[in-house]
Parts: sequence; C-alpha cells; structure tokens
Amino acid sequence: MKTNARIFLLLTVFYIVDAAGYAIWATVVNGKIEVIGTAAISMLVFLSGFITFYLYKTNTVQGVVPEDRLDANIEDGDAEIGFFSPWSWWPLALGLFAALAFASLAIGWWLFFIAFPLALVAIIGFVFEYSRGQHAH
Amino acid sequence: MATATATMPTTGRVRKTKGRVLVDWLTTTDHKKIGYLYLITSFTYFIIAGIMALVIRAQLAAPGLQIVATKEQYNQLFTMHGTIMLLMFATPLFAAFANILMPVQIGAPDVAFPRLNAIAYWFYFFGSFIAVAGFFTPQGAASFGWFAYAPLSSTTFSPGLGGDLWVFGLALSGFGTIMGGVNFITTVLTMRAPGMTMWRLPIFTWNTLVTSILIIMCFPPLAAALFALGADRKFGAHIFDPANGGPMLWQHLFWFFGHPEVYILALPFFGIVSEIFPVFSRKPIFGYKTLVYATIAIAALSMTVWAHHMYVTGSVLLPFFAFTTMLIAVPTGVKVFNWIGTLWRGSVTFETPMLFSLGFLMTFIFGGLTGVILASPALDFHLSDSYFVVAHFHYVVFGTVVFAMFAGIYFWYPKMTGKMLNERLGKIHFWLLFFGFHLTFLIQHWLGVMGMPRRYATYLPEDGFTWMNQLSTAGSVLLALSMIPFLWNVYITARKGAKVTLNDPWGYGRSLEWATGTPFPRHNFTSIPRVRSESPAFDLNHPEHAAPEAKASAKKD
Repeated sequence: MKTNARIFLLLTVFYIVDAAGYAIWATVVNGKIEVIGTAAISMLVFLSGFITFYLYKTNTVQGVVPEDRLDANIEDGDAEIGFFSPWSWWPLALGLFAALAFASLAIGWWLFFIAFPLALVAIIGFVFEYSRGQHAH
Repeated sequence: MATATATMPTTGRVRKTKGRVLVDWLTTTDHKKIGYLYLITSFTYFIIAGIMALVIRAQLAAPGLQIVATKEQYNQLFTMHGTIMLLMFATPLFAAFANILMPVQIGAPDVAFPRLNAIAYWFYFFGSFIAVAGFFTPQGAASFGWFAYAPLSSTTFSPGLGGDLWVFGLALSGFGTIMGGVNFITTVLTMRAPGMTMWRLPIFTWNTLVTSILIIMCFPPLAAALFALGADRKFGAHIFDPANGGPMLWQHLFWFFGHPEVYILALPFFGIVSEIFPVFSRKPIFGYKTLVYATIAIAALSMTVWAHHMYVTGSVLLPFFAFTTMLIAVPTGVKVFNWIGTLWRGSVTFETPMLFSLGFLMTFIFGGLTGVILASPALDFHLSDSYFVVAHFHYVVFGTVVFAMFAGIYFWYPKMTGKMLNERLGKIHFWLLFFGFHLTFLIQHWLGVMGMPRRYATYLPEDGFTWMNQLSTAGSVLLALSMIPFLWNVYITARKGAKVTLNDPWGYGRSLEWATGTPFPRHNFTSIPRVRSESPAFDLNHPEHAAPEAKASAKKD
C-alpha cells in the first residue's frame, strides 16, 4: 500500500506547488488573483491529500499484505476473495429510471414525478439487494 | 476461488434459449461481459459519428451548400460528431479495455464492485442515448459545438430541446464514467494477486489506474458545469450570463475537464501499445519505471494546462500555460523513446496488432509535434480555430484511440472470443486505414495555415481551398472503406474461424491474461502462476528466458 499512498502524496505535493505558483504568478502579472483556476487546482490538493491520508492510515492498520510482498506465493492470499454478485437486475433498473429522471429535467416536470419515485425504488432495491430475503443478515 | 457461480456445469454445453441469452446480457455483473457491452456500444457510436464525419466531408468537397440543407444542420453534425467521438466512443472504449483486461492482468476474479460496474455501463448507455436523442426532436440536436461555449449555449442563442437533452444526457453518462473510475482504482489498489506488487503491474494496468485518477479529478468539474448550464437553460439561473463573467467561468470549467479528458483518451491506449510492442519485439518493455513515472507526470501536468485552449480569449496567463504545455511534451517524449527502445534490436515481426501499433506511433508523433507548435502562444494566435487545429487533434486522438483500439482488438480477440481474426484481411484493413487517415488529415495542416477556419459550413471558390478539401474528402472515403474488411473479418471469423485452444496464441505474451484459458473462464483463472516479475505468463512459458527473480524463485523449489 505504501507505493499507492506515495503516488497520491506525489500528486498532493505537486498540486500544492502548482496552486501556489499559479496564484502568485497570476497575481504578479494581472494585479489580481485568478479565482477559478486557483480554486480548481486547490481542490485537487484536497482530493489527492485525502486519498493519501486514507491510504497511509490503511497501511499502518493493515500491515504488509501478500500483494505487496516481493516473495509472496498465490496460496499466501486469502482463499475466500469475497462475494461477487453473479447477476443482478437492479443496475439496469436503476440506470433506466435514473435516465428517465435526468431526461425529465430536460423534458418536463410531469415526467420527473413519474421517474423520481421509480428511481428511488431502484436505488433502495440496489442498496439492499443482498441484505434481505435469503441474504438477510 | 470461492464465488457464487462456482457451480457452472463443466461438461457438455447447455444450449441457452435466445431469451435466456438476452437476460444474461442485461443482468450481467461479469466484468468481461460488461467490457464487451462497452466495446460493442462504443464501436456502434464510432460508426454513427464516422458517418456524420463523412457527411461533413461530403459537404466540404465543393463550395456552396451541396449536401446539408441549412448551416444549422451542419452545426448539429460537427457538434454531435465531436460529442459522440469523445464521450460516447473514446471514453467508454477505455472502460471497455480496462474492464476486459485489467482484472485479469492483476489476477483478480472480477472488479471490486461488480454491480457498480454494471450501473456505470447503463448510465453511459442511457445517458448517451439521451444526448443523441436530440436528433429525433423537431429542432434537431445540440448545435453549439461540443464545448458549448457560453453565451452561445444559452436558450437565447440555442433554444430547443436538443441542447437540454445534450446537457442532462452528458451529465448522466459522466456519472457513469466517474463510477467506472472509482471502481478501477479500488480494484487495482485492493484486488491484486499475492506477489503482484505495484512495480510488477503490467503497463496497461498502470495506465488504467492513472487514467482513473484523472477521471475522478476532472469529471466532477464537468458534472458541476453541466448542471449549472442546465440550471441556466431550464430554471432561469444566470451562472454563465455574460453580465457576470459567465463565458470565462464556463471556458475555465469546461477546459479544466476538457484537457485532462484528452489524456484520459490517450493514456489507456498508450498502455495497449505498451503491451503489444514487447510481445512482437520479443523483448521486455524498455525502461519500465521511467514509463510509469512518465505516465504519472503526464497525468499530474495535464490538470494544469487547460487554458492553452483559451489563449485567444486574451485573459489567461499565457507564460504559465505555455510553460506547462511544453513541459508535458517531455514525459510524452520519454514514452516515445521507451517504445523505440523496446523495438530496438528486437526480433520484430509484423502481425496485425504490431502494424496498428506502429501506425499509432507514427501518427501520434506527428500529432505531438504540431501540439508543441500550438503550445506557443505566438503561433497559436494565428492557427487557433483553423483547420491546423483540426488536423492536430485528429492526429493525436485518431492516432491513439483508433489505431490502438484496432491493435488491441486484433491482439486480444482470441482471448475475448476464442478465435483469431484473419491476418490477411487485418493487413488490408490496416493499410486502407493508414493511407485513408493520412490522406484525409495531413492536407488539413496546410488548409489551416492558409486560413480555412474550422466549423464553417462552406467556403468560396476564390479561397483556393477546393482541391485540398477534395483530397481530404477522397481520403475520408478510403478511411470509411477500411471498415469493410474489418467488419467482414469479424463476420467470417465468427462463422468459420478456427478455435484457439492455446493460452498464449501469439507465443510471447507477457502479462497474466496469457496464462489463463482462451477464451477467459467465468472468474478468469482456474489457477494463477507465481508472480515474480511484470511478465508472469512469459516467465511461465519461457523459463529459460525468464526474469532473474523468477529464475531464482524457481531454483529454490
């Protein structure tokens, strides 16, 4: 995980330098700060900094994992990788109803009042698909 | 690998009804099937937008309005050609290749979030349909150019449903892209096989990771800008109103997305050719680490060059953006040296994937060089919004996306379908495409220098552009014809192609996808070889030439 965190750290440092450089340079040339670009690059600092923090934190909690060891064999990993949904109707339903809801913003409110409840049903169905019925836990 | 579908019948194929097959595709959460859906949908859009391009070229073959009835129709054509090619063909094509290959290359059974992956596809599918559905409305599709500059994109100058559908359709499909990006990042960070350290990832997987990071950095600003534009158009907001500096706000936000978008299109396809060159040169990739660092450098820099699209507004910091834009040519040049270094003194053979990769290399270098010309503000002021720019970005984008797409399709076709495409038809396809492309776009550099502006529906006979445009149109016909051998190739391979049973039909495959069955089994592997270098399949199949770490590890057993 260390390498991952370092990539994002690299980006964070670069965008700090870049945001500062851009803000100062623009201020020197034009006499006032260029708000849009400075704000946009500064947000990249937050984004990459946040992910860096998360990855470093995970790394300290998790310790060295088999996929980061140079000498790990395949059998060193977990036999149970995780649960993979074999198939699902909900992505299609959510896609269709979300699309109707988005299209309704262009077409008219009447469609929104039909599409929004359907999209709501689809998103609830999607989220709780593996928490009810035979999957209840 | 304990998964929910481990109980598939292994002996005797159960013949599925047509309805069953359809349901399988509609409800799939298998990363490869979703990848094929992406591939088929995006290729369909490639053909649709290609036909629009042919209409545009036919219109420009002679002065006057020959083909389109009104200039508004011409505006709709180039707007939707650009929108479709970038956001409905090239971007989802990245998702296609990343979905099909990346999990296999890292030795994972699927992506981290299979259902999120399916949603990402359906958002793209329906969002794109909404955006192009403008063609079915009375006023036609959006016609403000694919960068939708304010105030042209306001309801005052572009009324009609087509523009609204364009805005909200793209917003939806953008969310799909972001979800795909998040999914790919998580997969690469958490689902690697034991021993598959970050510095042993295949280059394609590295580029998928970096591209996905770019997606989560630049698509949210686009979503924000599109919603703001939607609010302006439908709810009477004044966010992009010229009275409060809206045009510059839009241009900044749009290009803050728009320039990294170009690298989202380029990086995965750099990854594809980086997989192909070593296989057909029989050498490992030259300078693995520099190649990865170059990719990261391109990604980091590409977020800071956006305003080079806005030089002619006269209100951006010219030296800053000229500097960063020229700087980004350095890591890109490093990559070119990596590829040439891989070819250098290799036992190069010229199978179809290799031909397309070499076609990519040549075309992309041309496009990169004109890019450096355009990065210089003094030259850009003359060339901006001329056909020189059109030629430049077609060299860059067609060079990377289309050439590398076909390279990738020919290369991985046996893994996807279990059959090899015909080599002879593939070579005819390549040469038609190559000459067609260069005939169409090379001349446009000179057209631009002579002053032909982009996006004009026509020109005058006195301009002296006629013969150049005719040459370009002839080239575009050749380019279109080159699709026939390809589609024919796919058809006859499906009908008569011999089944491939080898894991590695090309003989020198390097990454893990060449160490599993052809075509891929449902959860990718029945067993994974030990990973000791960035080319585990090669170490497995050619132990005498394996990487030193792999040899040492084999000796210990």
